Amino acid sequence: MAEVQLLGLFYQPESVAGALDRLRALGITDDKMTVLSMAPYRPEMLGRPKPKGRVGRIALFGALFGVALGLFLSVGIWLLYPLHQGGQPVVPIPPTLIVLFECTMLGTMWSSFFGMLGENRFPKFRKTIYDPRITEGFIGLAVEADRSLSDNIESIFWDHGAHDIVHDQAAEKTDPKQRAFWLSVGGVLIALTVILGLFVYDIIRIPFPTNMANQESIAYLQGPRLAAPPDAVPVQGPVLIDGQPATDPVPSSPDSIQRGKVLFGYSCQVCHGPNADGKSPIAGFFNPPPADLTSPQVQQLTDQEIYLVITNGFGLMPSEAEVLGREERWDVINYIRTLKK
Amino acid sequence: MAVSKDVPLWQQPVPESAEEAAQMEHHRRVRLTLDPVAPVQAQQMIMEPMRRQTLRFYVIFVILFGLVITELITWVYQMWWGLGVTGLTRPTMWAVYIVNFVYFIGIGHAGTFISAALRALKVEYRRPISRAAEIVTVFALATAGTFPIIHLGRSWKFYWLLPYPNERQIWPSYHSPLLWDLTAILTYLSCSILFAYIAMLPDLAMLRDRSTGRWRLFYRILALGWRGSEQEWHNQETALNVFTYAIIPVMFSVHTIVSWDFAMALQPGWHSTVFGPYFVIGALFSGAGAVILALILLKKTLHLDYFLRDEHFNGMGIFLLLLSMAWAYFYFNDYLAPWYGKAPADVVLYNQLSHGYAAPFWYTMLFANIVLPWATLWSRKIRTNLGAMFFIALMVNVGMYIERVIIIPISLGVNELPYDWGRYPLRLPETLITIGAFSLVGFLYILFTRFFPIIPYWEVFEGQIVHKVQRIGKALIPARSEPD
Repeated sequence: MAEVQLLGLFYQPESVAGALDRLRALGITDDKMTVLSMAPYRPEMLGRPKPKGRVGRIALFGALFGVALGLFLSVGIWLLYPLHQGGQPVVPIPPTLIVLFECTMLGTMWSSFFGMLGENRFPKFRKTIYDPRITEGFIGLAVEADRSLSDNIESIFWDHGAHDIVHDQAAEKTDPKQRAFWLSVGGVLIALTVILGLFVYDIIRIPFPTNMANQESIAYLQGPRLAAPPDAVPVQGPVLIDGQPATDPVPSSPDSIQRGKVLFGYSCQVCHGPNADGKSPIAGFFNPPPADLTSPQVQQLTDQEIYLVITNGFGLMPSEAEVLGREERWDVINYIRTLKK
Repeated sequence: MAVSKDVPLWQQPVPESAEEAAQMEHHRRVRLTLDPVAPVQAQQMIMEPMRRQTLRFYVIFVILFGLVITELITWVYQMWWGLGVTGLTRPTMWAVYIVNFVYFIGIGHAGTFISAALRALKVEYRRPISRAAEIVTVFALATAGTFPIIHLGRSWKFYWLLPYPNERQIWPSYHSPLLWDLTAILTYLSCSILFAYIAMLPDLAMLRDRSTGRWRLFYRILALGWRGSEQEWHNQETALNVFTYAIIPVMFSVHTIVSWDFAMALQPGWHSTVFGPYFVIGALFSGAGAVILALILLKKTLHLDYFLRDEHFNGMGIFLLLLSMAWAYFYFNDYLAPWYGKAPADVVLYNQLSHGYAAPFWYTMLFANIVLPWATLWSRKIRTNLGAMFFIALMVNVGMYIERVIIIPISLGVNELPYDWGRYPLRLPETLITIGAFSLVGFLYILFTRFFPIIPYWEVFEGQIVHKVQRIGKALIPARSEPD
């Protein structure tokens, strides 16, 4: 039973509706007929069943996927990398809502786009019956039927004022150029992702000093820094003289320790970790790693020595003088003393 | 009512009397939807300027391209020597780059609003202008997206913002408004592109059918095999509906989050609870101005007189006037509370604005954003005068750029500690990069108009099918009907 495809081109939606009725009477079901047009005619105008699509449902699933992505980005990352910041809890609710909202919308819209492509079988590699006059404003009525009905269909088309009829015997050809193009687009995208990954994961290393710590730094309106003479003693800020404290120590008290704990959370915890044992998520990025403040090496230092480390910095540790006031540094020291193992 | 079978849909009914003919003639002159021509003819009007390039086009193309290259070279120079080559210094560590960022994100708002909100509300004048507006959004957003990266200094490290398992074992912190910003902008930009593309599919199919050779292959690939079947239209409409209702809240969220980049800090002039809606309205305001500028330039350079008529500029002018009023309302809200509170730093900042060094900026802003639109846009004659509209829309954009200058470098110059006050010294690198950014938007835009149809013809055609006139008493009145 050979199938034939016919495409009638009409001026008016009413002619198409009339032709559709006659074709149905001929025993051709609605799913064998397609109306092609330059503008979205409503099914009611043509007396056609309402098309069913799953784009809406796909968008709903996409929204759920977006919620999952948002939960990972907000809650997931905060659990992977428990960084206290700005006095907020590890999983703060308001910022989570913002990220959730954006990701949900992202999932909804992307999935409705891909849902539309999938439901329409886009990109189409098969050549199906079509005529460029459709985009000239003609309404096309494509019918797929048994070859024996071909003459009947044609006469129905002419009866209803068809402008022309297009025959397509050899329908369902594939379009090699379309396929080749979209396959190569996919290939290039995958290749780019792989190449990017090679650089991102440092499998290919670029020998280029890109970190601030490894670069010479010159401040605004400052000339290049000269190396100090070999016998010079570079001193910036306070130094330890005869075991005298640089400022008056704050005696240890529950209040001072409490203040120290809070200040520690703001200024020290990022590197030294929530338990002050040097185990923070970013510790692996430093060489040598941040000191374990509960260890004997740190605890056996005098208060004045710790005060100077906080004030001047030490090794990779920057000076905290700008963020911790004098009394505040003593509060932190009092807190660190309570951590002795 | 009998319809002849072999009369094209776009053929006008024959008027019964001379008086009716005169009324019909009037409607055809005024309304695009009541003035249908054969699609081939209309498509010719769209495609002709795409294919025939004048000398003027090439001159503008080369100038814009040169300015964009200048921007790139300046950017490399700045990366090589560091941000010290710009005027960024304490206390104005955020300046022109962030101004540009906020400005271009703002420009990117009107496009989606016009296209999505006016589609949802079924406002008729959106039909021929929606794509021109959407494309303003896409290119302005893409340009805005470069500015945080330019501002980074170490621009090549921008990917550190993205959340992915990495060798540094560090995840970005979503406590920070800057990351909300990244998420929101990526959502908005990618979805705006998809939105514009879905709406463009039928027009790409049209170009495919009207072109030959390589152009045909190009459009055939991009049209994805669009035939215009009922199923395709249905799925496209569902997808467009999803986008319409999802992208409007995203659009609001994007500029609100941009405002939170500022409002979350305790800086005088920034720490305001009204910043969210105030920024959104400001964004729509400057964006609507930019869309008007784009439409006037398109109409004049691409000879789109058939598609872009007085009714469209009239509608956009009313929209601009409403936004100007809304902006003034929010600005007054933002201004009044600190003025009344008289916190010392706020007083200094406000004195700078009213009679200090920033006064020329402030008064220009108030004139361009409030006085000028209110004094002119109430008149239909002015709204439909292209020269006047061009000037007003341009001034609105100047005013809104100045508004961001006041919010960022001028506000940053005054903080709680007087020893740390300062003025931002504008230098050459950021000036060149800013000029380059404006050129980039223009460059991408004119390039786009050469490859893609800037008029969404299928929407115009749909409007022309469903709009007819009806007789009420002696007059023929346009019957408004849009199929649901």
